[in-house]
Amino acid sequence: MHTSIPRLGLVSGLLLSSLGAYAQTSTFPRNGVYDQRPGLYAFTHATIFTDYKTKLTDATLLIRDGKVEAVGTNVKIPAGAVVQDLKGKYIYPGFVDLASGYGLPEVKPAERTGRRPPPQFESKKGGAYDWNQAVHPETDAASDFRINEEQADAYRKLGFGAVLTQQPDGIARGTAALVTLATTGRRENEVILTDRAAAGFSFNKGTSTQNYPGSLMGSIALLRQTYLDAEWNQRNPTKEQNLSLRAFQEQRRLPQLFEVSDKLNALRADKLGDEFRTQFIIKGRGDEYQRIADIKATGAPFILNLNFPDAYNVDDVYDASRIPLEDLKHWEMAPANAALLAKAGVPFTLSATDLKDKKKFLPNLRKAIQYGLSEEQALRALTATPAELIKAQDKVGSLKPGLTANFLVCSNRLFAEDNVLLDNWVQGERYQLSNLPADYRGVYTLQVGNRPAVQMRVAGKPEAPELKIAMAPKDTVRGAISVQGELATIVYNPTPKDKAASVRLSGYFTPETRQFQGDGQLPDATLVKWSAKRQEVASQAAKRDSAKAPEPIQLGSMLYPFAAYGRAAMPQQETVLIKNATVWTSEAAGKLEGTDVLLVGGKISKVGKNLSAKDARLIDGTGKHLTPGIIDEHSHIAVIGGVNEGTQAVTSEVRIGDVLDPEDIDLYRDLAGGVTAAQLLHGSANPIGGQSQLIKIRWGGTPEDLKVAGADGFIKFALGENVKQSNAGEANVLRFPQSRMGVEQVFVDAFTRAKEYEKEWAAYNKLSKGKQKKAEAPRRDLELDALVEILNNKRFITCHSYVQSEINMLINVADRLGFKVNTFTHILEGYKVADKMKAHGAAASTFADWWGYKNEVRDAIPYNAAIMHDAGLTVAINSDDAEMSRRLNQEAAKTMKYGGLSEEEAMKLVTINPAKMLHVDNKMGSIKEGKDADVVLWSAHPLSIYAHAERTFVDGRQLFDIESDKVMRQEMEKERLRIVQKMLAAKKGGAPTQTPVTKATGHFHCDSVGEEKELDK
Amino acid sequence: MGNGTVVPNAAVAFDKGRITYAGAQNGFTQREGYEVVDVKGQEIYPGLILPNTTLGLTETESIRATVDEQEVGTMNPNVRSIIAYNTDSDIIPTVRTNGVLLAQVTPRGGMLSGQSSIVQLDAWNWQDAAVRTDDGMHLNWPQMILKLNPAEDEKAVEKRIKDRQTQLRELEAMFTEAAAYKNLPPSRRENLRLSALGGIFDGSKTLFIHADYGKEIIEAVSFAKRLGVQKVAVIGARDAWMMLDFLKQHDIAVILSRTHALPRRPGDDYDLPYKLPAMLQQAGIRFCLDYEGSMETAGSRNLAFIAGTAAGHGLTQEQAITAVTLSPARILGIDKDFGSLENGKSATLVVSSGDLLDMRTNNITHAYIEGRAFSPENKQVYLNRKFRGKYGMPVGVK
Repeated sequence: MHTSIPRLGLVSGLLLSSLGAYAQTSTFPRNGVYDQRPGLYAFTHATIFTDYKTKLTDATLLIRDGKVEAVGTNVKIPAGAVVQDLKGKYIYPGFVDLASGYGLPEVKPAERTGRRPPPQFESKKGGAYDWNQAVHPETDAASDFRINEEQADAYRKLGFGAVLTQQPDGIARGTAALVTLATTGRRENEVILTDRAAAGFSFNKGTSTQNYPGSLMGSIALLRQTYLDAEWNQRNPTKEQNLSLRAFQEQRRLPQLFEVSDKLNALRADKLGDEFRTQFIIKGRGDEYQRIADIKATGAPFILNLNFPDAYNVDDVYDASRIPLEDLKHWEMAPANAALLAKAGVPFTLSATDLKDKKKFLPNLRKAIQYGLSEEQALRALTATPAELIKAQDKVGSLKPGLTANFLVCSNRLFAEDNVLLDNWVQGERYQLSNLPADYRGVYTLQVGNRPAVQMRVAGKPEAPELKIAMAPKDTVRGAISVQGELATIVYNPTPKDKAASVRLSGYFTPETRQFQGDGQLPDATLVKWSAKRQEVASQAAKRDSAKAPEPIQLGSMLYPFAAYGRAAMPQQETVLIKNATVWTSEAAGKLEGTDVLLVGGKISKVGKNLSAKDARLIDGTGKHLTPGIIDEHSHIAVIGGVNEGTQAVTSEVRIGDVLDPEDIDLYRDLAGGVTAAQLLHGSANPIGGQSQLIKIRWGGTPEDLKVAGADGFIKFALGENVKQSNAGEANVLRFPQSRMGVEQVFVDAFTRAKEYEKEWAAYNKLSKGKQKKAEAPRRDLELDALVEILNNKRFITCHSYVQSEINMLINVADRLGFKVNTFTHILEGYKVADKMKAHGAAASTFADWWGYKNEVRDAIPYNAAIMHDAGLTVAINSDDAEMSRRLNQEAAKTMKYGGLSEEEAMKLVTINPAKMLHVDNKMGSIKEGKDADVVLWSAHPLSIYAHAERTFVDGRQLFDIESDKVMRQEMEKERLRIVQKMLAAKKGGAPTQTPVTKATGHFHCDSVGEEKELDK
Repeated sequence: MGNGTVVPNAAVAFDKGRITYAGAQNGFTQREGYEVVDVKGQEIYPGLILPNTTLGLTETESIRATVDEQEVGTMNPNVRSIIAYNTDSDIIPTVRTNGVLLAQVTPRGGMLSGQSSIVQLDAWNWQDAAVRTDDGMHLNWPQMILKLNPAEDEKAVEKRIKDRQTQLRELEAMFTEAAAYKNLPPSRRENLRLSALGGIFDGSKTLFIHADYGKEIIEAVSFAKRLGVQKVAVIGARDAWMMLDFLKQHDIAVILSRTHALPRRPGDDYDLPYKLPAMLQQAGIRFCLDYEGSMETAGSRNLAFIAGTAAGHGLTQEQAITAVTLSPARILGIDKDFGSLENGKSATLVVSSGDLLDMRTNNITHAYIEGRAFSPENKQVYLNRKFRGKYGMPVGVK
């Protein structure tokens, strides 16, 4: 028997049509009579998308008991089916969101008390779990999951039928569950489709109150060690019962989801995954388009949000000038992210979870389509892709027999402007989203009684319609129309001047005839019959009315980096001939007047007089000075997410190289100060800090591009007040060491352990393969690995140090335990122990004239560099400061004032000497044939305060010059103005706006603690 | 000379602490009674003046016991820096040996931090040191912070703006009452705070407003003018380039904070702080240079190089010298006695063997404060000598 389903005029979402469930949980006892229904429905004559690319017209969908039974143009409808005729309507597979926290407790940040709590070294969780509170892979979303009507309704309204749910908390987050959004009369037992559908990760420790990790590099190191520990724990199960590590290892077979905060963290996550043969599915921030080639190269699929920022309120010229260029541009580009990723062939799915206002999901989706995403790509990203990513394509994502009956019934094409989501069927359960009979908007001929017919226009949104009636040409009155189910009421006043002249019409709408009709009453109490017949649907009318085509979307050009002073591409390596300059070689040759230097293929090809070269760009160096690029031995620029781990006394497992930020404007500013390379160091908050990274200032490159390939690895050590937390506040009095006595013991202990560790491994490695299998493998410890490298001269120490007692101490410990201190950095009392440093073979990298800012630098003197130099040490002047870094030539010149160094020796302090202590003097640091073409052309004597860096070359690429700097300033201003105008127009057009951010810029220093940069004063 | 002129082959003569001749050497005829110091080939400059500094108030930033620059509370107009000025600071001798001979010792913190005084840097105690006591009142203008980060709620932004308006109303009430208070009969009940503010309304004290952002500068200066403050100067003014017309129009003097600084916004010209002095000069605005910022006391010996950087970015060398000599003297109200080498002025001057503004050549060979030569010794010179001695290295002329 064919019956049609009565439409109930209830408010969408609160609909509870059938309290008897279709698949009651069979193990549960039942109170009352049996009410298990067959759930057999046939949807006929619909346009059905069985998946994102397969469209069937005049087709039938048959579902039974919450699953798809058949779909096609030739489906036989079994007896007993409830049939719904969907002629003119559309059916799509229900959407799937992979980033939901549906039905799980809200993640609440740890409560903060007024005072800073004392340090917490271990997890507070208790039990046989991981040592770190942010690593809780044992967390099982399915166990905690509870059906939540309100949350489910919010997702269903957007078209979602199933979500992958997990609490977004912690670094190893545990398993996520795939659940449907069915709620009516359901139990959790029925709606969970897969209890362990994926495992989740992030770099954010979330609600963990434990100190470690206190930085992004710490998070990365923690994950890396956890991978190793989980493998080790699996191979040596008797060593330690660790439920977290066991869970971690078991979950490696699941799809791996990684939530990141931006595009660079996406690259970091992928790189980490590569180390452990894991391809993450990355939940991104929406800025992936800014590094599309690198994003594509990850091979990772992405989960994208549709969070498009509001325009800034740019009415105020001054305030608007504070908005960074990248924020202006991101406003313009964010809606194009999905389209650009699709164009690049990056697979992705779309999530509604992060939208503050969920109602924006569909409008923003349409916006993304307007910006170039095809409807097919959009549908795929909402259905097939998420299903495939979590290997659930046999459950959700399309409408094939056997799959969950999750589908949408639409009044029109899914992404059409006037489409109305009518029903969202989830697991065979109908959730009515709209009780409108159909989309009744359009242009009508209204006939009221015997009055002349007039044109009636119904526009607006179906749930909030707007009514206009044209009484005569140029005489249009507004009215009110309300439609509930089939019932309709219209009120309007044909002669607004007369306040008591309203006409009231009531009646009903018949979709088949597209007609309203009923009874009405005129102001003179006459009862009339009325009707309104639709001539044209709203979308057609709108299309016809908008005389001009929608404005084409215009986007600004891409910049690398995506920030101020970014370029369309990094400048090319050139063949350049610099003629007739004063060349400071920093070699035995000294300073050469009237000399030419030829750069070819990124190298210094020739140095000499009267050189010529075909195809070389000529630069007149007359009256100018050419020096080697300046090398800053001690810098903290271009680091993100914290420069100190520092939560433990020894953190040699963390790596600055993991957290490079190639978009830091201080890189560009360094180029403008003639700096071409810098050693980026971990801070000085603990005795054994993290591994350093030598970079070249390759502005425009990726994090990996910055790294100097093949350079020796270094590591930061530190002594004195910072490591004993003398100035770290009252809360920080518990971490060992708190005195210089303890500092020594940290080193002795660490290297003693490292030696034992090395022996253990050596013994194990000596065993035959067979014996190795039976033996217990030592645990791989990344912290000790780095120390073993030091013992074997494969990693080198740069040690932050001030007073002579501690310098002496470390030299003694090093001599005793058999390692070398490569460089003492800061070393402000080096002048007191220069002889001992010389005997040990250490180099010295110091400040020109800093002193007096804390107790341990009260004996610092500006003559320090000169005394150490005269004592025969290799000496460098460093910055430890983003501002001073760009004036290092001047800081070097101070050694002429304080201590009387010659100008050539002074220049070496920031060129060849730091190159020597960084072990790259074979490639960098002087102007010599065959070396890297890292050179700077100065306007005047390069040690003088009046000199400007006019051109800075890195690897033969001119990455800074004052001319193109000027051009970029102008272009940037133009680009800013263009977007500002666009924002003003958006505001005028009614778009919401946000207040510009007055975020002061910040920087890391040696003693910066935490992930945020210190705000500049 | 400090006033923008350079005289080659010059002579400067002084007697009883006052300059009696400054000009071309061949014009100096009354040589009797003068001890002659031959500085052939060297350069003579007025002693440099360091405005807006905590020199002598803070010895070692991280040691609380050595920090005397800030009082409790937000309104401390009655607080006076001069009595905390420590003439025996180890830092001061390292600053004056680089040519800085005068300083405006300035309290910090709160909204009204208190009163500064001007000292010379070779004294037995603060009373001896004082050149001008309680010269200025220091007002830190509340910052116009809009949104702290993109995620911040618009309501929190509104609240901050509202709170700031409350602060400004409190400030306005205090200024209004202080202006009226000074006219009360002497039998009045003494209110130290209101009394202390009196001087800014009769012109005996300058109101120094610390503000950086362009709009803050307009707001603060207009506030002061509206409430009848006689002399106003702006300290900080890192965004002064936005407000050149305004500053010029109101003839507001500017003390630019340490220009060895990064630009405030990523998109700013990389050399914006360096060229800011030249922009002010070109706009005809009265300005001078200071060294406020982190590690400011020990670092303030670099004041000459701040001027040098300005000279490398658009100022002439003479203009740059003026920006650390006569110009601060005028802005601080001590130009009758200091700031230039002119007859009748204090014999407070330095001799450098080379260009004072460039670290390569800056080398003070002689220095006098009010005609008194002071010792070139400081702790660092001593340690240098001691440890060069340890290694048997010559100490050299420097």
